[in-house]
Amino acid sequence: MAEVHVIGQIMGATGFSESSLFCKWGIHTGAAWKLLSGVREGQTQVDTPQIGDMAYWSHPIDLHFATKGLQGWPRLHLQVWSQDSFGRCQLAGYGFCHVPSSPGTHQLDCPTWRPLGSWREQLARAFVGGGPQLLRGDAIYSGADRYRLHTAAGGTVHLELGLLLRHFDRYGVEC
Amino acid sequence: MAAAGPSVFLLMVNGQVESAQFPEYDDLYCKYCFVYGQDWAPTAMVKETALPPAAQRGEGHGSPELGHWPSLSSSQGLEEGISQITSKSQDARRALVWNFPIDVTFKSTNPYGWPQIVLSVYGPDVFGNDVVRGYGAVHVPFSPGRHKKTIPMFVPESVSKLQKFTSWFMGRRPEYTDPKVVAQGEGREVTRVRSQGFVTLLFNVVTKDMRKLGYDTGPPDTQGVSGPSTPQGLPR
Repeated sequence: MAEVHVIGQIMGATGFSESSLFCKWGIHTGAAWKLLSGVREGQTQVDTPQIGDMAYWSHPIDLHFATKGLQGWPRLHLQVWSQDSFGRCQLAGYGFCHVPSSPGTHQLDCPTWRPLGSWREQLARAFVGGGPQLLRGDAIYSGADRYRLHTAAGGTVHLELGLLLRHFDRYGVEC
Repeated sequence: MAAAGPSVFLLMVNGQVESAQFPEYDDLYCKYCFVYGQDWAPTAMVKETALPPAAQRGEGHGSPELGHWPSLSSSQGLEEGISQITSKSQDARRALVWNFPIDVTFKSTNPYGWPQIVLSVYGPDVFGNDVVRGYGAVHVPFSPGRHKKTIPMFVPESVSKLQKFTSWFMGRRPEYTDPKVVAQGEGREVTRVRSQGFVTLLFNVVTKDMRKLGYDTGPPDTQGVSGPSTPQGLPR
């Protein structure tokens, strides 16, 4: 079986209007993939930047997959939340990106979006906070049922992921 | 001997902790150590003709914990250390330079648990106590070649204002009991941090036998630069 190592970091995020941010991340793969080592999902620390406006998480990702097929290449999905001084959390954006498919180190910028509600919900969000959230997380990385959503852009999450592939040439896979 | 090919690959990293940018703090020193998975071990210099037998793993450090901060063990390469104290230069750059060497070789059977370098920066506060100014971690790059990385440094922060004042006054800031927490992903959900500086590191990476074991690390890049650009570039 071919093996894939994903080794890198969720570096941080820019472009969000809120400042104390954290990110919940997860990896979704197809049925042919098996996770041999590593944790498939996690949550970063909450960072309040002192310098500049980029919130830094430096959250390590180290995953080891074995695969029998190319379908269902791993997708990393992210939810960025902000936490205020009272400890309340508010959604800042959803985003996903595919794990790169060529070996080496890659810098990724993942754009995010958040669902807009009705004008009442938007007004409430401006004053009180809160706002609509997705009921099921798989809408973040799948295209089905997206046509029902009306969303606005959030900021960008920056990742640096390194890919190490093993035995892909034995199966004739070029990447 | 190795009839079926190698089972172990080597990763040799050398380089330096080059400099730091902390706009608000001065007189800083840093400590670094490496955190790696269970399949990894640091090794002494390998002789060219043969791989060391599996039982002989170099001195000390056969298990993955390096929980202490001892003084430099020179016989094993420079895999952890404490730097000098540096002050900002008087010129316009206001540069904090350590130029502190790193030199370590690891051997492993599995890329899972790829080594990370964990840095902790300390400095004096207003009352003269030694307090932590930042923690940071980054994976050692895995493509052979030269890499420059600038990593953000953050400190844990307490939520309540009273606790912040008390810790400022007493000189006892929140710190991690074990700096290796910075290299792990689990258990960070509940921590609040403040990022307040950057440290620039240079790495030269050489690997041995990764390709023979079937690993493809991608194109070697000679000038990999990542992270924010540093306003004070040091001359090569």
